[in-house]
Amino acid sequence: MKITLTLNGLSREVDLPPLVRLLDALRGPLGLPGTKEGCGEGECGSCTVLLDGEPVNACLVSIGQCEGRAVTTVEGLSAPHLGPLARCFVDHGGAQCGICTPGMLISAEALLARRPDPSDEEIREAIAGNLCRCTGYQRIVDSIREAARERREAGGAA
Amino acid sequence: MSLADLPLHDMQRAASLDALCGIVAERHARGEATVLLAGGTDWVVEQELKPPRGDADPRPLVVDVSCMAELRGITATRGLLRIGAAATYLEIRRHPTVIERAPMLAAMARELGAIQIQARGTLGGNLATASPAADGVAALAAYDASIVVKSVRGERRIPFSALQTGYKQSTRAPDEVIVAVEIALPPEGSPWLWRKVGTRRAQAISKVALAGIAVRSEDRVVRLGLGMASVAPITATLLQTRALVLSRPLSAITADALDAAVLSDIAPIDDVRSTREYRKHAAKAVVRGFLRDLGAPV
Repeated sequence: MKITLTLNGLSREVDLPPLVRLLDALRGPLGLPGTKEGCGEGECGSCTVLLDGEPVNACLVSIGQCEGRAVTTVEGLSAPHLGPLARCFVDHGGAQCGICTPGMLISAEALLARRPDPSDEEIREAIAGNLCRCTGYQRIVDSIREAARERREAGGAA
Repeated sequence: MSLADLPLHDMQRAASLDALCGIVAERHARGEATVLLAGGTDWVVEQELKPPRGDADPRPLVVDVSCMAELRGITATRGLLRIGAAATYLEIRRHPTVIERAPMLAAMARELGAIQIQARGTLGGNLATASPAADGVAALAAYDASIVVKSVRGERRIPFSALQTGYKQSTRAPDEVIVAVEIALPPEGSPWLWRKVGTRRAQAISKVALAGIAVRSEDRVVRLGLGMASVAPITATLLQTRALVLSRPLSAITADALDAAVLSDIAPIDDVRSTREYRKHAAKAVVRGFLRDLGAPV
């Protein structure tokens, strides 16, 4: 089945069985291995991507369901260089082993697009579907809060 | 079928709701299954638990309904809230009319899964899967919602009280498509409760969840809707408890009578999430909490 989608702002076409998971399509034929597989059953959030701007678990979405829709992966936030949000994770210790990080960045991006000045509670709610086994979350919350501040100071452009 | 078999499936979209009803009816008449796929938060995960498909096994057709306009949308007219079966929980919790006129529904949607699940999960999916642990269905029970279903024979409305017949069993015919749910909105400002007891606030299937909506007149509750998840083979509607509360002034309701009514309404089991005894305890506690909020001395 030929599927046309907008991937990180570019129109892409893939020819795949429609029930192939978006996660596998991204990491395989679409050549974007930044999205990680954790649990593979919608619990851990490692594979979070944006589907028409909303965070979803790519392990639960079929590539056929992406026809005509816009998908943003972690590569779309940062390419070709580390973006300001990812830089805040580096600077504030928000990333350790790194498996949860792409999903955390996507969930944070979805939050900041809607809430330029989120409270800590809103940040924690936004990443509640992203499990991290390293940081204890506080440094991730700090990273997102700092990214929000930088983005506001840059007039929303960061 | 296991996850590895997913690529073997065919998937299509239907051009319209009528076309979808036609596909489902034709396949049903031939004894073939059709899976209507919305968010996939249950169905895709379930495939992982199944053994690999044998060559002779029937292959269900998957129809993607996640973008079907006729199954989406949230509207309110003349006190009736209509939520498309494929509207997502994220859309529900953000909808201004839901927030203003059905705040319990918005509170439920906010605590269901995490945002990634809310962005995909739907009321239609939870109704189709028919798990008694579904938070969204407990909320519909409390609102005494109607389920709008359609087939090639026409459209009909199933009152919530006539929907569920047993564990994952319902009165919806196999060829009927869930189109929407309709909720007669209670008066503005009606007291409500959404109380979920789970391992953590996000991504936890409820050990017990209570949805409650009441209309109060001085010392009496004159209308009461209750729905409870994870305490019986079907979503519990707590009819004995409702009857008790409606039968006497709030000041005359005792904790013992309330507890007894709740226990007569539920049949919890031990499972991976909780125990029968804890569920009984939690069920009594959350109902008492709601009645205490309403002014009963319990």
